Parts: sequence; C-alpha cells; structure tokens
Amino acid sequence: MNIRQATADDLLAMQNCNIMNLPENYQMKYYFYHLLSWPQLSFVAEDHKGRIVGYVLAKMEEDREDEPPHGHITSLSVMRTYRRLGIAEKLMTQAQKNMVEVFNAQYVSLHVRKSNRAALHLYKDTLKFSIHEVEKKYYADGEDAYAMRKDLPQINPLK
Amino acid sequence: MRELPSKESALFKQILKYYEFKQYKKGLKATEQILKKYPEHGETLAMKGLFLNHMDKKDDAREFVRKGLKSDLKSHICWHVYGLLHRSDKNYGEALKCYTQALKIDKDNMQILQDYSLLQIQMRNYEAFNESRHHLLQLRPNNQRYWIGLAISYHLLGNYETAEKVLKTYEDTLKPGQPNYEHSEMLLYHNLIIDESGNTEAALEHLDSIKSNVCDRRIWKEKRAQFLLKLHRLQDAEAAYEELINDNPDCYSYYEGLQIAKGINTSMNNYLNVEDNSLDDLTPECEEKIIALYKDLAQKYPKSNAIKLFPLLYTTGDNFKMFADEYIQAALRKGVPSLFVNLKKLYNDPQKEDIIEQLVEGYLECLKNNGTFTQSKSDDDVKEPPTAYLWTLYLLSQHYDNKRDTTKALKLIDEAIEHTPTLVELYMTKGRILKHGGNHNEATKVMNEARELDLQDRFINSKCSKYMLRNDQIEEAEQKIGLFTRGDAPDPLTDLADMQCMWFVLEEGESYIRQKKWSKALKRFHQIEKHFADITDDQFDFHTYCLRKVTLRAYLSMLRLEDQLRSHPYYFRAAQSAIKIYIGLYDNPNTGTISEESEDYANMTEGEKKKLKNKAKKAALKKQKEDEERKEKAKEDVKRKVDKPQDDDPDGEKLLKTEDPLGEAFKFLLPLQELSPKRIETHLLGFEIYLRKSIII
Repeated sequence: MNIRQATADDLLAMQNCNIMNLPENYQMKYYFYHLLSWPQLSFVAEDHKGRIVGYVLAKMEEDREDEPPHGHITSLSVMRTYRRLGIAEKLMTQAQKNMVEVFNAQYVSLHVRKSNRAALHLYKDTLKFSIHEVEKKYYADGEDAYAMRKDLPQINPLK
Repeated sequence: MRELPSKESALFKQILKYYEFKQYKKGLKATEQILKKYPEHGETLAMKGLFLNHMDKKDDAREFVRKGLKSDLKSHICWHVYGLLHRSDKNYGEALKCYTQALKIDKDNMQILQDYSLLQIQMRNYEAFNESRHHLLQLRPNNQRYWIGLAISYHLLGNYETAEKVLKTYEDTLKPGQPNYEHSEMLLYHNLIIDESGNTEAALEHLDSIKSNVCDRRIWKEKRAQFLLKLHRLQDAEAAYEELINDNPDCYSYYEGLQIAKGINTSMNNYLNVEDNSLDDLTPECEEKIIALYKDLAQKYPKSNAIKLFPLLYTTGDNFKMFADEYIQAALRKGVPSLFVNLKKLYNDPQKEDIIEQLVEGYLECLKNNGTFTQSKSDDDVKEPPTAYLWTLYLLSQHYDNKRDTTKALKLIDEAIEHTPTLVELYMTKGRILKHGGNHNEATKVMNEARELDLQDRFINSKCSKYMLRNDQIEEAEQKIGLFTRGDAPDPLTDLADMQCMWFVLEEGESYIRQKKWSKALKRFHQIEKHFADITDDQFDFHTYCLRKVTLRAYLSMLRLEDQLRSHPYYFRAAQSAIKIYIGLYDNPNTGTISEESEDYANMTEGEKKKLKNKAKKAALKKQKEDEERKEKAKEDVKRKVDKPQDDDPDGEKLLKTEDPLGEAFKFLLPLQELSPKRIETHLLGFEIYLRKSIII
C-alpha cells in the first residue's frame, strides 16, 4: 500500500472510508477544516487502483493555555480487508513525525470507546499509547471514552 | 429619514456590534426597541431582517430586509444587508449586484469590499477578485493578509510574475525572526508560485534560500528532490530520494523518483493508476539493476511492503518466479487478507498469472501432504502453521473467481469455510463469488452470515447492506445500515444524509430504478446533487480562514478540487441515472401520475391482490409503530439540536411531476459536459436530450 500525505482530492474518499468502517462520522466540512488547518498531519493508504483503504485524520491542539502544544487523532481507520499489513501503524508514524517536526507537539492524544476492545488493543499494544483518564459520557450515546496519550520524542531544536 | 437621535444612534452602533459577535437575540431586541419609536427607519429594519435570518425565520427576514431597503435606498448598510441575505440563500449573482450598489454609496468600506471579494472568488470571477484585492491592500497596506490576498489573485489569473513580485515586496519589509509556521507556509506558497511558473531553476534556488525558515521539512525535501530530477541533476536527486525513503519507506512516489534518478527508467511513470502494462521493453540489464536495488533496500527497510512488492512488477520469467515465491509464501504464513488484491495488478501479464497459479497450486498440494509450501527435501523441515493452508485455499479461490471459474472457486472457499467456520473474510469472498456468478440472492444470504459473525464491525455491516441493495431488498438494507447510524437521528436515512454519506443513497437510487420506482430514485439522485452543492458552498468560510491561517498551498488545492468536484464518479453515476429518468419522463409524461405499483397490480389475480393488500397493511402498521417509537426517541434528543425544516417531498413525488423534464436533465448534464468530456456516456446522454429539444423547436 502506498502511504502518503493526504490532499484535498482524497477527502471524499476518506469520508467514504470512514462511514463504511466506523460509527463516528463527520461532515465533509470537518475534513476540509483539518486539511486546511494542518495539511501536514493527515495521511492516506492507497491501493494499486488509487482507492483509499485507510487514513489518519489528525489535528493540533495549540491554543489551550493550560496544556503544551500537542497533536490529536480525530479518526484512524483501515478497511477490514486491508488489515495485517501494519497500515495503521505506518499512518500514525507519519502523522506523529510531522506533529513534532512542524508543530513541536509534545505528545499526541486520542479518544476511544471503552467498549471497543479491538481499537484499544491497537492503540495500547501496537501503537504504545496509554490511558490518561476516563472521560465520562464522552460519546453522544452516553458511552465513556478512554482519553489516551503518547509522548512524542523531541527533535533537537538546534538542528 | 436616516439620522437617528443620539440615544438611538448609539443603540444602532451597538446593534452592529451584536451582529459582529453573533449575538442575534440581543440584536433583535435592540432593533425592536428603535423600531418602536421609528418604525420606518430603513437600516434598523434591514438589521432586524438580518437577525431574523440567522434565527432561521427566512420569510420574515426577507420581508424586513426589503422593507428596510425600500425606505432607505441610499444606505450602503441596507444594500449590504440585502447582499448578505442573498448570499445566505446562495443567490451569489444577486448578492454581487447588491454589493456593487453598496460600494457605489460607500466605496472604501472595508467590510463590504471584503465580502465582495469573497463572493468574487467563490464565483471564480478572477479579474474582479483581483481588483477588489488591490483596493483592499490600498486601504490596509500594513496587513499581511491583504498582501497575500493580492498575490493569490494574480496567481489565479496565471500572472505568476506579478504574484511573486507582490509577495517579495511584502517579505522585504519583514525583519528576520524565528521560524514560525505561518511564515513558513507563506514562503512555501511563494515557492509554489515560482514552481508553477515553470522556472524550475529559479524555484530550486528559492527553495534553497528559504531552507532555514521552513517548518515543513518533508515538503521541503520533496520539492527539492522533484526540482533536482526535473533539472537532470540525477546524483543529487538520488540522494534526495534516498533521504525521503528513509523518512517514509512506504511512499511509492519516492521509489519512482529514485528509479528515474538511477536511470532505471522502465515504465516507471506512476505505478499507480496506470492500467496498461508497458513493461515489455524491460531489458535484462534493467532487471538486474532493479533486483540489486530492491535487495539492498529490503535490508535497510525490512518493514516496508512497497519494497517487497516492486520487484514483482519489474521482473519477468524466472526472476519473477523467485520473487513471487518468496512474497506469496510470507503473506500466506502471516495471513494477509489483501494478498490477492495486491497480486491482481500483476495479472495484466498473462505469463505472471500462470506462474502464480502454478506456485499456489503447488503450495496447496504440499501443505496438504507435508505441511510445507514446497516439496520437502528432508524430514526436519519446519512445518507451516495450519492457517497457511487456510489462506492458500482463500487465495486460490479468489484466483479462480477472477478467472470466472465459479465452480472451482466455490469448491475452494467452501473447503476453507469448513476448515475455519468463524472467519468473516471467507464468507465475504464466498458472497463475492456468488455475486460474480449472478446469484444475488444467495450472495446476499452469505454476506448476512458474515455480518452475523461480527456484529460489532461496521465494515461488514456496510458490505452486507450493499449486497441487499444490489438484490433490491431495500427495507432490509435500511434496517441493517440503521444498526450503526446515530440513535438520536429520527431515522437511519436522515443520519446518513446529515453525514453526507453517498454510497448508500446511490445504490438505493439504482435499486429503485430496477424496481421502476422513479420518484424515489429521483429523490436519491437529487440528494447526491445536494451533497455536492453543499461541498461547493462549504468553501465560502475557507476563503477567509485560510488567509488568516496562511495555509495557502492547501487552500489552492481546495479551490482546484472544487473546480472539478463534479467529475467524481458518484456524481457521474447519479447524474447519468437522473438524466435517464427525466428523458423517460419526457417520452412518457404519464409516468408521474400513474401510481408506481399499479401496473404490476393490474396483472395480478384476485388472490395475489388480496395477499398484497394484507402485506401492505401489515407493513403500514409496522411502519407506523416504528415511526412512533422513533419520534418518541427523537423528541428526547431534540433539545440538543435546532429543528430542521421538514422535507415537503420525502418520496420525490413532486420531482416526478416536473413540467420541464428536459430542463432538469440538462442541469445534470452540464457538469458532465464540463468535467467529464472524455466519457462517451456524457455525449450519448447529451445527444438524447438535444434530439428531444429539437423536436420541440
């Protein structure tokens, strides 16, 4: 699979992939908002026909006074039929690199449904996130979320 | 009367503030306070209308805005407000006229000029946009935003030289400082302008000069590598691409660049999306070079899938066999579900297809007998995991399905299912094979079995719903898709529409066509059109936003995407179907008035009619009950959302009653003519419409 930075041309396919795979969906404008705010942070996986089979949609949390700048994963998904190739990990690696290089992110955060064991396994065991706290009733249907975090290695600012 | 007494005049100023800070309720109250004393005050009337518009009272809004304008035709505020009203109704042309009037009265009004320029860019009036940006910069020469805005306007006009000059002039006024993101984005945009002007030499020079101020290191490296390649500085380009591969060893374009730089110029130009297989002229030397290159890279980046796949594309004969053997075995051992999809690209070459078939048939035989992939040379060979046999069956089944040897494919997949009856992927493949064999009914059943094996997974749920739609089981499909839509939505379709989900309605529309339910089909295709229209409108806010954020390269790519948004295959499919229905409607104008089911009904026996009536009754009762339950549920959640206006044509009956079916068809045709002129269907549909139009004439 070809792993590359997402462009405006990918957004419709990303939205399609999201709505096929995941229960948490967003309107197109929200995808545009991500790409037009932080074009460096979203990546796609593309098959040999140019079909988008996975993506990571990510952003920065920059303007909060009580927290250092950090990245946030809005959505990550790989089509079921394209699993076991390490695509999610590769997408995340790329997004995280740019979070640090471009935006000086100190860590990256995300939310996951308490009941979603598959996703929890991915984030915890494969991607090395840890549970920061539980956010009560984070989701619209009342389910709690795990707020997860991972520290990002800093690059030498003098380089 | 324009001038208000000082007390009211102060209040009016406050009203403008309320609007600016989106405090519409407060604003509305204040307007009413003034209107009590001065009911004819035009600007206040207009503002009242504007607030009402933001509170979703469209009819009242229009009335007040018009009344305001009527009583004060010389007020730039009234014209501006009228323009804003048109803008919010998406009447961009009308809005432009209002702004023009407003500017005649107050030509240096920043706010109006600003809004004016937004409309111009939204409508792609590049010349006019450029004029407005000039005017704005003249009024605010110290603000970065206006310099950049002017540069963009020249860029869009294709005047690269002036665009660049504008940016340079601005940059020269800046003092050197710490690198920051916004500045970095501006410099990269500057570089893009030079790049697009075609002067690669200058672009490279500029890129080198901004190096220390660029935050986005990756794009900087990508651009540099591209420029070097274009300028035939191959050694430097090679090094540049090697560095990029180190950053992301799974990006195809980096390998493409590297191969070209190294002079291994096979059919390289874009592995992706190239359907023809032009590897015939691959020389043996080239092949050797490629093997050496990827062997070396594989050691450095053992996790890269790309590196493992590429040699398969660029080798032939025994070399190919060796790489394929290794690649396929590793994937079968690991259990990679997408293995067949990855290999399928190679099937363009029938020789490669044969080799793969031989290899995998061999594995199956050996795994069955010895538990190894190939003939055992000694007894202490390591045995493969039992799943290897399963995945080999799975791969081979897909292989024969691709050859449309349905019997063989089914036999293999059934054996796999017997081996492991809990694996969702196996059932999905079986469903696919059945579909390819034309048995949609059975295919749908198997897909539903797959779904039931993993009720938590939306993907298999979506697939199952899709198969149901292909089998014209609309009710079941809506029920299944509804298992994953938001519980607080009134019904699954509303949630899908809110989320701008297109694949489902499109499939549904196509199913309704097969069932000759024209009105419902039309409704679905108009919904697709609406999604595209909304995406076009969504741009509006980003014209301002991106200037502020200075994400100019991304902004430009958005403008270019929007310009050809309707070339998207979803739009094409929807438009094509809608046009066909409208043409049919023109030819048989009664289609709209005859109840859709009646034709079938007339051909039924009494017994069948009775049965059908009972069934309909039951369904109606069930639907009523469900609707009530849903309404209850929706009521509970309604507090969180503003009420949306009801759809006054939920089943598309009004669409079907159009007076001008050809006109409606033509609306769908226009974007196809503009954006998909190379597709034969566009012109065939156009022909059908024009043919009928000339009959009228």
